[in-house]
Amino acid sequence: MITKEIEFLAPESVAEALEVLSVRGPDVTVLSGGMSLMPMMNLGIVKPSVVMSLNHVAGLDSLSVEDGELKIGGMTRHRTVMTDDLIGTHAPMLAEAARTVGDVQVRNRGTIGGSIAHADPSADYLPVLAAGNAELVLASSEGTRRVPAAEFFIDLMFTVREPHELLTEVVMPVLEPGAGSGYVRFARVEGSFAIVNAAAVIGEGYSSTHIALGGVSPAPVMLDASDLFADGLSDEALEELASRAFDASEEATGDIHSDADYRRNMAGVFARRAVELAAGRLATAGGGS
Amino acid sequence: MKTDISLMVNGEAVSVEIDTRMILADMLRDELRLTGLHIGCATGNCGACTVILDGRTVKSCCVLAADAAGVEVTTVEALSTGIDDLHVIQEAFVDNQGLQCGFCTPGMILSTKSLLEENPDPTEDEIRHGIAGNLCRCTGYHFIVDSIQDAAARLR
Repeated sequence: MITKEIEFLAPESVAEALEVLSVRGPDVTVLSGGMSLMPMMNLGIVKPSVVMSLNHVAGLDSLSVEDGELKIGGMTRHRTVMTDDLIGTHAPMLAEAARTVGDVQVRNRGTIGGSIAHADPSADYLPVLAAGNAELVLASSEGTRRVPAAEFFIDLMFTVREPHELLTEVVMPVLEPGAGSGYVRFARVEGSFAIVNAAAVIGEGYSSTHIALGGVSPAPVMLDASDLFADGLSDEALEELASRAFDASEEATGDIHSDADYRRNMAGVFARRAVELAAGRLATAGGGS
Repeated sequence: MKTDISLMVNGEAVSVEIDTRMILADMLRDELRLTGLHIGCATGNCGACTVILDGRTVKSCCVLAADAAGVEVTTVEALSTGIDDLHVIQEAFVDNQGLQCGFCTPGMILSTKSLLEENPDPTEDEIRHGIAGNLCRCTGYHFIVDSIQDAAARLR
């Protein structure tokens, strides 16, 4: 039961929402799909005084490809990310990640923007956005700015978003023809948050190999392994990658699901698997499943 | 804070005065007396509060009632008027003993309805993924999967 009084706001346009944030930003908690915020409110973990819902705002769930960039409105539900042809074609890793979020009802209601703004370090989208060079669009009544995903997350559930800003759009360069990508996750039960997750993007002919790891640090950990795989996959290169992933995960912490050392070792295993998955898709231009 | 909202519930337009703190699950149960849905966890895990909102299943514990203004909600009550008039899916659950205590059943029924509308002939794996958001602590799911397979066959 939610005990604290709530002032509930339901703007119908982005301009109206930004106006609210410009005046009352620090007091306002933004509600999108509610799949994290509502449980936290029901449990009394967060007690907002002003809740602004985005569920009645028009135009925050548009999808388009422009100038080589896939643009996804922040209120796009996971279900759409998982099933939409445009996303499946141009950012198959995102669809792959969306498929693993929660369960049917969670994917029906939860949104990509909400998940990103909530910034749980184990969220499925985070390594995908980082490995895919995505940028996040933050709008305010003063204008907009684009922040690279790798710089967006600054600590556990903290992002660079200012109280007067709204995450309106996710922009991701389209996967180049001939490139391969893949997303893998490790969780004890399907549908629960990942203990470790990893995304990899390999350029055509192994021109580049980029990996991002989630769950081992407040922000996704980036690895450039282009040098390792310049000549293609090899056991030695994959072992060196696992070792680099272990080293890069030094900020990993332990919790009820796994201790820090186990997480670091799993980061190595899943970095390898992400690269193997992406490599397997190189031949079939487009990557993804 | 009180506010008035209007929405469609089981095909009827309703207006309700609610507290802005109220979740949709409580509004449906306490204000509209639609007690078919249950509240198990209030954290979006168990799925006992599943309803269909604008055509998709959602967990009504994770929707503020105030946020449901203008939406269309379907609860399990829309499927049947009583024991002599069970929906085909409900009959299949009864005939296959797809329930024991019944707490999760209304949510299971609505998830099944949604799954079968999209996929009239699901595999066992697809069924298990389709009800992954609904927890049952009695049956071990085996008879629920049987029930859904039977319901699918009856509906085809």
